[in-house]
Amino acid sequence: MGKEILEVKNLTIQYRTDLETVYAVNGISFSLKEGETLGLVGETGAGKTTAALGIMGLLPERTAVIPKGEVKFDGKDLLKLSEQEMQKIRGSKMSMIFQDPMTALNPVLPVGKQIGEALYLHNEENLTNSQIEEKVEETLELVGIPKERKVEYPYQFSGGMRQRVVIAIALICNPGLLIADEPTTALDVTIQAQILTMICNLQRKYGTSVIMITHDLGVVAETCDKVAIMYAGEVVEYGTLRDIFTGDRHHPYTEGLFGSIPSLTGDSRRLHPIEGLMPDPTKKPEGCWFAPRCGKCTEKCKKQVPPVYEKDGHQIRCHLFDEQDTEEVQ
Amino acid sequence: MHKYIIKRLLYMIPVLLGVAFLVFAILSLTPGDPGSIILGITAKPEDIAALNAEFGYDKPFLVRFFNYIGDLVLHFDLGTSYQSRQPVIEDIMARFPNTLILTIFSMSIASILGISLGIVSAVRQYSVLDHTCVVVALIFASIPGFWLGLMLMLLFSLKLHWLPSYGAGSLKHFILPTLTVCMSSAAGLLRLTRSAMLETIRQEYIRTAKAKGASQKRIIWKHALRNALLPVVTTLGTSFGASLGGAIIAETVFAMPGMGTLITTAIRQKDIPVVMGATLFLATLFSLIILLVDVLYAFIDPRIKAKYQNGGRSRE
Amino acid sequence: MNRKKEKRNAQIKEFWRRYKKNKAAVTGLVILCVIVGIAIFADLIIPYSKCVEQVGADRLQWPSAAHWFGTDEFGRDLFARVIHGARYSLFIGVVTSLIALAVGAVLGASAGYFGGVVDNVICRIIDVFMCVPPILLSLAVVAALGTSMRNLIIAITISCIPGNVRLIRSVVLTVAEQDYVEVARSYGASNARIIFRYVLPNAMGPIIVNTTMAISDMILSAAGLSFIGMGIQPPSPEWGALLSAAQTYIFTSPYLLAFPGIFIVLSSLSFNLVGDGLTDALDPKLKD
Repeated sequence: MGKEILEVKNLTIQYRTDLETVYAVNGISFSLKEGETLGLVGETGAGKTTAALGIMGLLPERTAVIPKGEVKFDGKDLLKLSEQEMQKIRGSKMSMIFQDPMTALNPVLPVGKQIGEALYLHNEENLTNSQIEEKVEETLELVGIPKERKVEYPYQFSGGMRQRVVIAIALICNPGLLIADEPTTALDVTIQAQILTMICNLQRKYGTSVIMITHDLGVVAETCDKVAIMYAGEVVEYGTLRDIFTGDRHHPYTEGLFGSIPSLTGDSRRLHPIEGLMPDPTKKPEGCWFAPRCGKCTEKCKKQVPPVYEKDGHQIRCHLFDEQDTEEVQ
Repeated sequence: MHKYIIKRLLYMIPVLLGVAFLVFAILSLTPGDPGSIILGITAKPEDIAALNAEFGYDKPFLVRFFNYIGDLVLHFDLGTSYQSRQPVIEDIMARFPNTLILTIFSMSIASILGISLGIVSAVRQYSVLDHTCVVVALIFASIPGFWLGLMLMLLFSLKLHWLPSYGAGSLKHFILPTLTVCMSSAAGLLRLTRSAMLETIRQEYIRTAKAKGASQKRIIWKHALRNALLPVVTTLGTSFGASLGGAIIAETVFAMPGMGTLITTAIRQKDIPVVMGATLFLATLFSLIILLVDVLYAFIDPRIKAKYQNGGRSRE
Repeated sequence: MNRKKEKRNAQIKEFWRRYKKNKAAVTGLVILCVIVGIAIFADLIIPYSKCVEQVGADRLQWPSAAHWFGTDEFGRDLFARVIHGARYSLFIGVVTSLIALAVGAVLGASAGYFGGVVDNVICRIIDVFMCVPPILLSLAVVAALGTSMRNLIIAITISCIPGNVRLIRSVVLTVAEQDYVEVARSYGASNARIIFRYVLPNAMGPIIVNTTMAISDMILSAAGLSFIGMGIQPPSPEWGALLSAAQTYIFTSPYLLAFPGIFIVLSSLSFNLVGDGLTDALDPKLKD
């Protein structure tokens, strides 16, 4: 575990149209060291994908705004870079695996061309075309696709195979950071495990840092070193895998999240789902975003935005933890 | 691929027979027989009957149809004109070049103009250029070709005396008719290309390309263009049909001897064999163009190509 | 039942809110209303007698206070003729599009929904029709039946049907694959019920848009055919026929060409603008 590769500070992203402002990401912070995996967990609509796109600089230009925040990658603040400078980083130093492999590949180009493109665009070692082809074949084999299939088109591949192609595109330049946006959600359960194992193996082999976006706590338990639980665009709890999965100091939302998973070993007989729905992201509340669904909600929660309380690196954004031994950050 | 083309060519045979039958059936609804049309109703009944027999009109409908098809296939004979008593095919061959040139000119200019402006318009969505293109295209899509032709004639022939207002002698004669025909096709293609391009730019694979670090330019040319052109290519056939139709009307405006004037004159004179031959001739040409467009489409969309290579028609 | 109505009202309101935001679409709607108003109240604007009244002394007069659009070669008032001509164009445009829609809906929906032999037969017939450029088909019909308003309507309706069948078939195919149709089928809804309750309402969007645009095309086709003398004949004040007659006087009296032409463009443009507005309002996902 080496130096910090990514540091996100107070990142805020909004989608603005003439009609409304969507508060998609509301001041999230986390950091990632070389070779580490961070799990970004939350329900659909919690702002996970938006955060990832914000880091990659892929937000829709016309509507998305980043009013404040910092994304330090390799010592540079990505938000201050020009589009040209970002293009040099995207695909080579950091890359992304998308959720739906059925739509993430260009239907009219052979997969080999699509994989090789990233290398062609960031050809720092001045490889010749045939060397690029070799590398494409190598990468295909690495993700478990016979190299002869590089001339085939996306429609000739199954969903799982397409996701392998997407992973090959992301990995061909050996990026320092890989953002995997629900890489297995669209796949069959049996394929899910294969793909996850593959990502983990490749990560270990190359020392890549990974942000694993998921709503599946099982995936998190298997793959992550650190976890950030997101709710309504905020990180409500952040800590090591051990912090989140053990102990009894948790954000009520995290508890709810764990209550929604059936346990085979525990003695609970029934599920405890979180009541209610995600709040309307266009209406910023006065107090805590989670207050309307929270079982432990107090008057203070409805009125005042909770700060982040930290104890030994384990951060929780909730008024309940306003105790002596915690430290208020931000 | 050869298999696909051959298969499509074979499928053309029943379709063309169907087209011939359709046109033949519609035109046989015409009241009156050739004898009384040519000689007038005051002629002697036996003369009329003799003439009807000469044209084979005394036989039942289906027999006439198969005779017609037989002559067409075996002798490339489209019958005889009631008026000139000349083979219809000669009339057609004399007029067809003008119509063909006009249609080809119009189609080429419309495609180049419409597709390229459509792309630029989509890439620079919401820019002044885009707004201008959209408004101008919408207006041109709403102008009837013949009226545009009249206005062009008024300006360039009658006021400025730059271009001839009728006839078909030189290349100059084709400028105004071509403009007349191509503007509405260009407008349609611009609108379609623009919306197809906008739709394509929103696709996820475009985001994948961006995530690879591809530049805006590369994304447009390498990733978006080919996908965006797919729906445009499918309409090129229809667009050709529209240009052909436009040419037929433009010929009337500019008094150009072509298929359009041939057909309208023949309709006025009730010269059914000419109407029939000319319609069938153009319909065949149009079918071949549609075939060509389908093959072109298969070339740029690997999915369609594969579907046809594996045989079997899809439901879509 | 009441709740359903409320929901429907809310949908319409939301739709109208989106439509209203589009300036071009609102402009189109205004022009359209004006033209429809002209067609309905033509007799109140200027009596029909003015259309036919021939004043020998007033032949080929340029526009003036007495004759706003000038007069034609028989001394008839062009303003009156253009105003009354609106009825022809609108009537033909709307009627042909609706007939073509009805026929297209029946054939297209059966082809798409039943598939198999029905689909095959309909598609092969449509293939044949599609191989004849629309105007040739119209001309053939006119050649056989002769020139009259009724025959013009038949001629351009026929040329419009094949495209409609294809469109509706493909829309129905897409809708019929949706899960809610599968669900309806699974609890035993009849074919007719599924088509009318589920498939057609959900396929409505593209069909409405297409029909609106088709009216514009039909207006242009009708005017075109009348212009080449294959549609409505003079002395009817149909716009295409007016232009056809005016062609002779292009050099001396170009205003005879200008006014009917402008009205054709405006009516066709208004339907196109409304069609574009409907597309955007019905399908908001296309806008960011």
